[in-house]
Amino acid sequence: MSSDDEAEEYLFKIVIIGDSAVGKSNLLSRYSRNEFNMHSKATIGVEFQTQSMEIEGKEVKAQIWDTAGQERFRAVTSAYYRGAVGALLVYDITRRTTFDSIGRWLDELTTHSDTTAARMLVGNKKDLDDIRSISIEEGKSLAEEHGLFFMETSAKDSTNVKTAFEMVIKEIYSSVSRKVLNSDSYKAQLSLNRVSLVEDEKKQNQGLSSCCSR
Amino acid sequence: MMFMRRSTQSELDAFYPVRPECHDSVPKSRFKLKTGKTLSARRWRASFSEEGQLDIAKVLRRIQRGGVHPSIRGAVWEFLLGCYSPNSTFDDRSLIRQRRREQYDELKAECQKMVPVIGSGKFLTTPIVTDDGQPIDDVPGPHGSQQGSSDPAFEKKVIQWKQVLPQIGLDVVRTDQPLMFYQTETNQAKLWNILSIYAWVDSDISYVQGMNDICSPMVILLENEADAYWCFERAMRRLRDNFKTTSTSIGVQARLSTLSTIIKVVDPKLHQHLEELDGGEYLFAFRMLMVLFRREFSFMDSLYLWELMKIGYS
Repeated sequence: MSSDDEAEEYLFKIVIIGDSAVGKSNLLSRYSRNEFNMHSKATIGVEFQTQSMEIEGKEVKAQIWDTAGQERFRAVTSAYYRGAVGALLVYDITRRTTFDSIGRWLDELTTHSDTTAARMLVGNKKDLDDIRSISIEEGKSLAEEHGLFFMETSAKDSTNVKTAFEMVIKEIYSSVSRKVLNSDSYKAQLSLNRVSLVEDEKKQNQGLSSCCSR
Repeated sequence: MMFMRRSTQSELDAFYPVRPECHDSVPKSRFKLKTGKTLSARRWRASFSEEGQLDIAKVLRRIQRGGVHPSIRGAVWEFLLGCYSPNSTFDDRSLIRQRRREQYDELKAECQKMVPVIGSGKFLTTPIVTDDGQPIDDVPGPHGSQQGSSDPAFEKKVIQWKQVLPQIGLDVVRTDQPLMFYQTETNQAKLWNILSIYAWVDSDISYVQGMNDICSPMVILLENEADAYWCFERAMRRLRDNFKTTSTSIGVQARLSTLSTIIKVVDPKLHQHLEELDGGEYLFAFRMLMVLFRREFSFMDSLYLWELMKIGYS
C-alpha cells in the first residue's frame, strides 16, 4: 500500500453492466476473490472491488464497479459510468431477453461515458450449455457489429473469467500508454481517476476499515 | 446460571434456521436473549389491559433494553409498524384484521384476473409481455383476461406492472436463500405475491430491488399472507421515499446527503476522508440505508436493529 512508486501505478475504472441476474456480481467475486456464491443476492445500487495485475513490470489496478441490473437503478448507476475506461456488457446465454438488452446497455454506456477504451461483450453461464439459447456465433456477430471484444464465461466454474477481465485491462493499458505518449491532456484526465491511491496511507490512522468490518 | 444461558441460546437457534450448507457463509448472530430484559411472551401478554389496550410505552422501554423474543415478534411488529393502535381493544383488532384480510383478498383477485399465476403458489421469472407491451404466448393455455379497457393510461399501468413481475421473481429466488424458510416454492410465492400486489397498488413506486429485503421478514414473521402484506405496506409508508426513482436520482440519495451532513459535523476528519474516497457521495452507505442494514447483519440481528429503530425511520 506504499505510495512511493505511485507515479508508476495505474488505476483503471471498469464497469460491469447488464440485465438482472446475469451473474455480474459473481463474475466480479470470481475475478477479485476467486469466489462464487450460489446464494448471491441482487445488488443494491453500486459496489466496487479493486484488483491488481502486472503488465510490463508495472502494477495496474482495476477498480471494477458492479451495478444493479434493474432498469429503475439506471439513473443512479449511469452516474458511475463517468470516467470508466473499460466495460463488460454481460448477458446470460440461457436467457434471450438479456441478450436483446445489450443494445440498450451500449446506448446507455455511450451516452454516459465516451471514455471507454475497451468494451467486451460477455456471455455468462457457459456451464449451462445444455439449456443455452444464444449460440456462440450469435454472440460473436453482435460483438463484431459493435466493435466489442467477445468472450463466453462461467463465473461458476471459472471458465474465462480471469482471461476476460485481463484482456480488458491489457487493452486499456495499451490504449492508454499509446495515448499518454502523445497527449498530455489525456494523461491529466486519467490522473483524475487516481485520487484514491494517494489516500491509502491515511486509512490506518482514521480507522475507516475498522469501523466497517468490526 | 450457565445452564440457563445455554438453554436460551439453543432456544434462539430454533428460530430462522439456516440451511446446513450455508452456515459458514452467513453472518453470525450476536443477539442474545437477556432474562428480565428481553420482551418475553409472558411480559407481552401482561402488557395488555383486560379489553386489550396495550401499554406501548412500557413495551418500547423493554425492547430498548433487550429486544423482542422471536416467538412473539410478528404480533409485536404489527404494533411497532402501526397496523394497530395501542389503544384499540381485542375486539377492535379482530374486526380490523378481518376487514384487512378481505381487502387483501380483493386486491389479490383483481391482480389474479390480469395474471393468473398470482396466488397460485407459483411465480414468474420470465417475461409475459414484450418491451412494447405485447403478450408473449409461448405457453398455450388460459391467459389473464385483457381488461378490454379503452383507457390508455390504465392500459399503460397494466403493461408496466406486468413488465416488473419477472424482475420480482428473479429477486425472490435470490432473497434470503440461506434460510430454510425460502426453500419451498410456496413461501417464495408468498413473497412474490405480496411484492407483486404492492407494485400494482403503489404504482408510483412499483417494485425496486431492495424492497424484497424489506418484505422478506414480514413473510417469515406473519404466517397469514394478508397480515404480512399489511405489515409490509406499513413499513413502506415510512420507506417508500427511498425507492422513489426519477430519471436522475433515487430517493435514498437524500438520506445519503443527510448522513454526509451529520458526519461532517460529528466527525469532520472522517467526512474529509470519505470525501476524498468517493467524492462525498457516501456511496458505501447506499445499500445500508436502502435495505436498513439487512445485508450487513445476520437475519436475527437485523430484525433486532429494526426493532430498536422502531422499524424504519420514524
